[in-house]
Amino acid sequence: MTLVHNFPFFSILLCMAAGIFTSVFKARVSKILTLMVVGTVLVLSALTLRLTLQLEDAYPFIMGHFPAPWGNEIRIGRLEALMATGFSAVMFISLIAGFRHAESFVSEQKFNLYCIMVDLALAAVLVLIFTNDLFTVYVFIEIMTIASCALVVVRQNGHTLVAITRYMIMHLFGSGLLLMGIAMLYGITGHLLMVPLKEAVQQIVETGNHLGPLTVVIALITAGLAIKSAMFPFHGWAPDTYAFAPPVSAAILSGIISKAYIFVLIKFFYRVIGLEVIISQQITQFLFVCGVAGMIIGSIMAISQRDIRRMIAYSSVAQIGYIYMGLGIGTRAGVEAALFQMLVHAAVKSLLFLSTYELINVSGDRKRFHYLHGAGYRNVPAGIVFTLAAMSMVGIPFTGGFIVKLNLAISGIAIGGWVRVMVLLALALSTLLNSVYFLHTVVSIYRKPAEDHIYPETPKMPAYAGVTLFVSMLLVVYLGIGSEPILRVIETGLKTFS
Amino acid sequence: MEGLLLLIAILLPAVGSLLVMFLPWVNENRNNRCIFVGAVMVLECIVVLLVALSGEQTLVLFEMTKDLPIALRSDGTSRVFSAVMALMWTISGFYSFGYMKHEQNEKSYYAFYLMTLASLIALTLSGTMVTMYLFFEMMTFISMPMVLHSRSKEAVAAGIKYLIYSVAGATMGLLGIFMLTPNISSTFFVAGGSLMTDQLTLPLAAMQAVILITLIGFGTKAGMFPMHGWLPTAHPVAPSPASAVLSGVITKAGVLCIFRMIFYVVGPDFIRGTWVQWTLLACATITVFMGSMLALREKQIKKRLAYSSVSQVSYVLCGVFILDTMALEGAFLQIVFHALTKDALFLCAGAIILKAGISRVDEMQNLGKRMPWTMWMFTICAISLVGIPPLGGFIAKWHIAEGALTSGTQVFSWLVPTVLLVSAMLTAGYLLPPSVSAFFGGMAQTESPAIREDAKDPGLLMLVPIGILTLAIIILGAFPSIMIENFDNVINTLLKGAL
Repeated sequence: MTLVHNFPFFSILLCMAAGIFTSVFKARVSKILTLMVVGTVLVLSALTLRLTLQLEDAYPFIMGHFPAPWGNEIRIGRLEALMATGFSAVMFISLIAGFRHAESFVSEQKFNLYCIMVDLALAAVLVLIFTNDLFTVYVFIEIMTIASCALVVVRQNGHTLVAITRYMIMHLFGSGLLLMGIAMLYGITGHLLMVPLKEAVQQIVETGNHLGPLTVVIALITAGLAIKSAMFPFHGWAPDTYAFAPPVSAAILSGIISKAYIFVLIKFFYRVIGLEVIISQQITQFLFVCGVAGMIIGSIMAISQRDIRRMIAYSSVAQIGYIYMGLGIGTRAGVEAALFQMLVHAAVKSLLFLSTYELINVSGDRKRFHYLHGAGYRNVPAGIVFTLAAMSMVGIPFTGGFIVKLNLAISGIAIGGWVRVMVLLALALSTLLNSVYFLHTVVSIYRKPAEDHIYPETPKMPAYAGVTLFVSMLLVVYLGIGSEPILRVIETGLKTFS
Repeated sequence: MEGLLLLIAILLPAVGSLLVMFLPWVNENRNNRCIFVGAVMVLECIVVLLVALSGEQTLVLFEMTKDLPIALRSDGTSRVFSAVMALMWTISGFYSFGYMKHEQNEKSYYAFYLMTLASLIALTLSGTMVTMYLFFEMMTFISMPMVLHSRSKEAVAAGIKYLIYSVAGATMGLLGIFMLTPNISSTFFVAGGSLMTDQLTLPLAAMQAVILITLIGFGTKAGMFPMHGWLPTAHPVAPSPASAVLSGVITKAGVLCIFRMIFYVVGPDFIRGTWVQWTLLACATITVFMGSMLALREKQIKKRLAYSSVSQVSYVLCGVFILDTMALEGAFLQIVFHALTKDALFLCAGAIILKAGISRVDEMQNLGKRMPWTMWMFTICAISLVGIPPLGGFIAKWHIAEGALTSGTQVFSWLVPTVLLVSAMLTAGYLLPPSVSAFFGGMAQTESPAIREDAKDPGLLMLVPIGILTLAIIILGAFPSIMIENFDNVINTLLKGAL
């Protein structure tokens, strides 16, 4: 075991320790500390990814001295390392480009508390990616729920409070379902660690004892995680929460945190229950239908919005629909496409939230579309980034979004039958709807502003923020052109995932 | 390295465009910019002609996923298309130097003008379906700012309409590409098609429907019914030289995609004599007739020309869908001559709008005395577009009609020539009256009051490009055999299975 093997554990510990330390520092120090921690996590995760690419198989990492059936462990494979790298990169970019906006919402004295929440959220994301223990999953999902609640509620106005109340109710309901599911699973199997759990589940399936409760468990856990990740019929909390949160928080919440829940769900399907059982219980069909419905209805809702932030928030619902459709296809290729979409959407959506905020900022803090006319000229880098991110959302070639659609379509066609027709139709319709609202917005930020709108002088965007946005823009293009190695990592990682 | 030339042909205008955006020297003053853009375009023409003259080359750029190479290849079709496009683009570009003096935002205009050229050349040189789709979409988005150029309310509405139609069309095309990919034996384009007809993954009827949808999708760019609605709205709002290339050149990109799908992927034999061919021919003939009728009703000169494009580009499509050697020769000729003519007409219209300050056809009485050169060239082009011998348009239409008559496409073998004849009369009806009233004054003896006091022919920078186009129409019309021989070489590879 080399030093690098410990890096995932280190990065989790680092985030949690940083959370504790930032509580005693002043705003400025805690801000730098947080940035450094996230940057370090990014480097550590990248090194872990390099290590796992050399290893044949995933390796378990035992925490404490107790071996498998009793102790707690994390498990590190290519897929986990890739996700950790991707998410921490997105977090790093969002923080550099958007931290200064959070300062305008949070008072100087309380800023270190905001930093704690950022650290904790990242810690929870990392744990959910790496852990091999179902109860740890529950604990850190709760931590993540609370941390993200705090990330939103630092902005104290009426909208945010209403949104966050709805958020808390839905999320605690989701947590409750999850906890019930885990408790029941423990009741019928006697395990919480995923490896022995799977053996026990297979026994249940073979013998047929407790098959009913197992179905209930799968339903409960799937529903709990679906609520928390804003899958279509349970998406009610999402748009307002994303729209009225500070932009960094919105980027982190919709870009990363909602993906972590889905990653847990994939882990639950593959590592705990086994995909064949899930398919035989017809859960995938349910997810497929919800995903397709989300893609269409989320986009239609987005079209009807007048506030640009709510439009982007609703488009998240549509994009999460893509992920669930990929899962619902039920094949390995479908899940691969879904995982790739998780990375692409994390990168693109956070860019969208951040660049939109810059555009709103130069338009006198007004969010309606007609005030945004000409914003692309008032802040050129943000305009370019928004345009590119919007194109990725629509699925224009040379951006990540296109590769996602390509892979979803290919995996759908491979199945044939009605699934193929549904996948292609849904993709076509959703592309069209996306292009209606995103391209409309792109055009409107490059329109001539009305004569009677007077835009106040705003401080120029600092150069480092522009550079960060630009670099992350290259990332989106890279996901569109150089997707092949990433897809291969996902493919090989998924093979050793279960 | 083999295929380096192909890469240069694409990168040259792309890099040129970036330099226009970011190089300070280029934007120091107008002269520098025009010299730079002009040099890039001339160089690009030389490179494209070199590509056209050298043999077939292939270059794999990168692998998108496991079995999807993004590759360039210069075969017969791409050589013809890329040469036509690059030359037209350059000529309109030189005209822009004179025209755009009076417009704003020249910098972004030239940057996107060059970038669109890059994506067009890339489209013509695409070697696989997915590559073609990539550059097709790219071209749509990059040509968008040319439509939006004036940033007026009208331009924005037109731009959005353009985008939505184009994305819908491209999505239909992509759908077909997805469904066809498992059924073809080669990812690269193969002359004569590579569809494995004996082991389709879909029922035959579904496959035919997919192909129909794909072709109608790509037909959006060519302004084919039922996806033609955007064209007459979007083309006229651009600055005139941009309208010229949008109408004369970019519509041909749609034709190219249809051409590639029929002759290089599906294979003409698969759709010959099926309901797919009848539907496509019906769409194309409807478009020919409808475009002319709408043009006749329209009074705005640029809009009238745009409607005329709807009709004229579908002449090409008629020629393609008949799937016959003679008709294909006609289609190729029509591609060349329509590009030349429509370019020249839009450029003339631009000159009239700029110098005489009128934009309606009924305000042109006695304009011929003030702008003799412009109006003469307008008239010559109009005659060619109507199809009166000995000018170019006649030869193209003759071939299409002749091909249709001998092709044995049931009802269409006489319907297509009839519609072409009727449409020729309609074309005469909407293009000749402006000339007549410009030279003979129509009813009025005096000049139209709408014409500006100081109306006169534009400077040489604008007149010479139009002159070159007009001369090309006359010369190539008189000696079309030079081109037909080359076209035959291409066509023979495409239809060799059938004949």
